[in-house]
Amino acid sequence: MPELPELNPVVHGKLRLALLSLLVGVEEAEFTWLRSKTGATDGNLGAQLAKLEEAGYVSVKKKFVQRKPQTLYRITEAGRAALAEYVQALKQMLGGAIGD
Amino acid sequence: MTVNVEELELKDRLSLIETMIAEGRRTTESNGWTFVLWGVAYYIAILWTALGYDYMAWAWPVTMTVASVLTVIIFGSKRSKRPTTTIARAIGSIWCAIGISMFVLFLALGWSGKLMDYNIWVAIMAAMLATVNAASSMVLKWMLQFACAAVWWALTIYACFSGGKLLTIAFLVAIFFCQIVFGIYLIIAEASQRGKVAVHA
Repeated sequence: MPELPELNPVVHGKLRLALLSLLVGVEEAEFTWLRSKTGATDGNLGAQLAKLEEAGYVSVKKKFVQRKPQTLYRITEAGRAALAEYVQALKQMLGGAIGD
Repeated sequence: MTVNVEELELKDRLSLIETMIAEGRRTTESNGWTFVLWGVAYYIAILWTALGYDYMAWAWPVTMTVASVLTVIIFGSKRSKRPTTTIARAIGSIWCAIGISMFVLFLALGWSGKLMDYNIWVAIMAAMLATVNAASSMVLKWMLQFACAAVWWALTIYACFSGGKLLTIAFLVAIFFCQIVFGIYLIIAEASQRGKVAVHA
């Protein structure tokens, strides 16, 4: 029997997974946009983004637009690879159950 | 039982990934207003020209300039709030390039006095609008927008064979359906899709 892969615990967190999935489809996204798409609170969102940044899965850029601070997040190559690996692992674990 | 719960959770994760990728890539978000804005601008310009107010020659340059400035301002204010996708950038660049081409061409033809034939003017404008709608619909794989392109192509052909009031009526009808109705439909569709997907850690 083939050994089942382990799921990456950093990616597996529901909000972190949602954030990586959102970021993979855009060039970069602002904190408020991520908040509106996920419905998460500022504190929780900030904490999960910090974990993703710490893992090297997202990069952060801060700038001022019309004198207002803006925090932009971008998925890194490592983040893309981690998400792709996670999806592969999920599919492998679910096996034939995916189509059910 | 435990196996089923785990399996459901894993399926839930896959579904979450699909939903979020789709959310992030949604490119039609908040663009309906541009169709309505430009449709109204065309109507104002046509009305201004038809009623023969003073400075009639300024009708199109002024309304188009005002519409362009408004578009840039509104887009600028929205840009900071929403992320850019590659598809959105591709579609935006098509619209921007065609818009600049139309502006430059008609302004130059108007000032040089060579824009004398109303039929040719409508035919060129309709062909350009058909091109941009068709290109956009092909990128988005969106039949409804391709139908708008087909309407503009039909007007292009009609403008080559018909003229006078009938052509103006056909032009107004095309603007109504392909700009105003299509734009309002987009606004309504965008509003209904804007429901949040709450994700909890």
